[in-house]
Amino acid sequence: MGTLMNSPLLALVLMAATLSSAHAAAPGPTGEAMAATCAGCHGTEGRLGTGEFMPLAGMKEAEFIRAMQDFRSGKRLSTLMGHVANGFTDREVRAMAQYFARIQPGAR
Amino acid sequence: MIRPLFLAGLLLACSAAGATTGTAARTPAVSEIRATLATMPRGDAARGKQLNQRLMCASCHGNDGAAPTANWASLAGQRAAYTYKSLIDYQHNGRHENPRATLMRVAVTGMSKQDMADVAVYYASLPPARPAVAALDPAAHARAERLVRRGDPARLITACASCHGATGQGGINETPALAGQTVDSFVRTLHDYRNGLRITDANQGMRQFAQRLSAEEIRELAVYYATLKKP
Amino acid sequence: MLNRRAFLTAGLKAGAALAFAAALPARAQGPAGHVVVVGGGVGGATAAKYLKLANPRLRVTVIEANRTYIRPYGSSEVLTGHVAMRDLDVSYDVLKSKYGIDFVFDTVVGFDPAKKTVRTAGRQSIGYDKLIVSPGIRLMYDAIPGYSAAAAETRAPSGWIPGTQTALLAKQLKAMRQGGTFVLIAPPKPYRCPPGPYERAALVTEWMRRHNPTGKVLILDPKDEFVTDATMQLGWHRLYGYNIPTDYLKDMPAGVKNSGRPSPIEWVRAKDGGTVEKIDTRTLAVTTLQGVEKADVLNVIPPMQAGKLAFDMGLTDASGWCPVERRTFESSVHKNVFVIGDASIADAMPKSGFSANTQAKVTARAVVDQLAGRAPGEPVWENTCYALAGSDYGLFVADVFRLKDGKIAQISGQRYLPLDAPLAKIRLAAAYQQAWLRTFTEDCFA
Repeated sequence: MGTLMNSPLLALVLMAATLSSAHAAAPGPTGEAMAATCAGCHGTEGRLGTGEFMPLAGMKEAEFIRAMQDFRSGKRLSTLMGHVANGFTDREVRAMAQYFARIQPGAR
Repeated sequence: MIRPLFLAGLLLACSAAGATTGTAARTPAVSEIRATLATMPRGDAARGKQLNQRLMCASCHGNDGAAPTANWASLAGQRAAYTYKSLIDYQHNGRHENPRATLMRVAVTGMSKQDMADVAVYYASLPPARPAVAALDPAAHARAERLVRRGDPARLITACASCHGATGQGGINETPALAGQTVDSFVRTLHDYRNGLRITDANQGMRQFAQRLSAEEIRELAVYYATLKKP
Repeated sequence: MLNRRAFLTAGLKAGAALAFAAALPARAQGPAGHVVVVGGGVGGATAAKYLKLANPRLRVTVIEANRTYIRPYGSSEVLTGHVAMRDLDVSYDVLKSKYGIDFVFDTVVGFDPAKKTVRTAGRQSIGYDKLIVSPGIRLMYDAIPGYSAAAAETRAPSGWIPGTQTALLAKQLKAMRQGGTFVLIAPPKPYRCPPGPYERAALVTEWMRRHNPTGKVLILDPKDEFVTDATMQLGWHRLYGYNIPTDYLKDMPAGVKNSGRPSPIEWVRAKDGGTVEKIDTRTLAVTTLQGVEKADVLNVIPPMQAGKLAFDMGLTDASGWCPVERRTFESSVHKNVFVIGDASIADAMPKSGFSANTQAKVTARAVVDQLAGRAPGEPVWENTCYALAGSDYGLFVADVFRLKDGKIAQISGQRYLPLDAPLAKIRLAAAYQQAWLRTFTEDCFA
């Protein structure tokens, strides 16, 4: 790490990363932060064993996005998911979808 | 039209609340299932389509019977007798295999036999779903196909196709169609049979086979049926 | 400044490259530190767990008075016998074994924000880099003339913090004379679990239909409205023949009409004289602006403030609640101290378990970020309160919250179960409510 840090190029890259990560706070919460709001019903990290709620861990990105869009538009009936989906932007839905797609499914 | 039904349903729900948890689930006798199916009313698919929305079935099973997420069962193209029998099983408190069954026992509260027949024929009228699943590799496909077409006499496993049809279209009586079923739902169902949690199969018809299948075979069969193309 | 201090406490040596290194978001080896969480309720337990999830190298210590948590959410079901008291017990074992969280079962009696230490009754002095306080609520028994903590343990239980009073209230309900009146005194805002008093009233009414069919439930309220009020009252109307006040009636679905007959459940609002002036715990007579109501069982949900600990630690303001910087819930009074859950001032967010749970996650992330020298990310919070109008009749409020002009604002549109919701949806909401009790407990405590 020490020798790598001596590289001016890497320092620049890191500075860019710093700037962009500071900047990243502006457009909205991370996928992980968004996903944490789902965990009260859908399990920590979206991981549930067998349950009434849909386990979100390992869900395909496109499937998640379509589900949220359909909940939001009302095309898909729901008890309260329509209300919740309405509170998220497209960018946030995508961020959540990408987060859950990476999580190993199954009970924690 | 809807209102009296609404209130009647509510009262029923309240009085049934205690009973729902009280009675133990049991396996229905073959004669019982025959009688159930013999008295199934003639279904009205158009009304079934409305009920699919009003009773919230569509939320999990899809507006067109294709489950919107892999977690739930697709019902499009399902044999009406199977759907009807399943709904009766739920209403008779027979299904407790996993917490999802709780939702179904709640969902069927207050459904009349006519309602059940209507949704059953509605789903039967729809073309089977086409889950977005990658097909098996050739070796796995061959293994699954052997079980489907020939079974495994050494383990006393009857060919799946002998009851469920050559194209997974379902068979006589309540034998369900399997073509186009979501992988998760298929796998879960077989495991619930295998673990003795789902017990509404007459004569343990499915349990005895499921117990002889390996987890890998179950998964391969699930993908086989999910990706089965009609000849 | 803060970032730099966090570095030093974490034991890192200062160096030119470190500022960059710490800013790397995906650094596997975040600087460890010691986070102390005071209070092992929903907020505290969730914070501890999510701190460990975010950085397993952090040392996390929870200081909590009780070895077993008694969950308040769903605790009104004890009154109807749907669950037993022991079903409310939640163990801390999984948090200890699975996440390596340390538990000190003790009470905090001292706090030195300059030295960053807390002192316990057991004479332990515990140092921290960051302190998360989740003190819950204090019930102000003495705020209602005639009522007291002693009365709550005997003649007129509250049970809003579950425990012996919950069991006592269940016993009194069972022993109530046929045709008796269960009087519930609802609290003023803000209070824990906004739909809770009305759900409790509903469940007691449902129970009485079977066990005390001529009994009555009377809600005396210092407010004119409550969260989920219209949907809850529609549920009461359908299930128990409740007469809906005229001003609510106009928004009800077509065909909803009051019978005019006496209903086993009645809600007396502030504008109808529901505000309680005093109670006599000997005779169970409750004096309102309208007159005197004689209770057979009296359940008092008194006004609330932040938990006593928040006062002892000097974290409250004149309102009796804890002001915080909204992005991170860092106390406006003390640096490096965060106040989450019911005790915090969170604007549009209700005081609920679900709120505390999502606040805990946002704050845990902010604390980990601060310790790593990163700026905290953009927060998002959520609240979903399911409530029952009967055991098969569910309803809810569901909200997403964000930071807006330095305050927490509710941003989703529709919040409640629609009044014209089909019965299937209502029944499913009740089923999901029961499922949520399990999944939510798991997310907080396992």
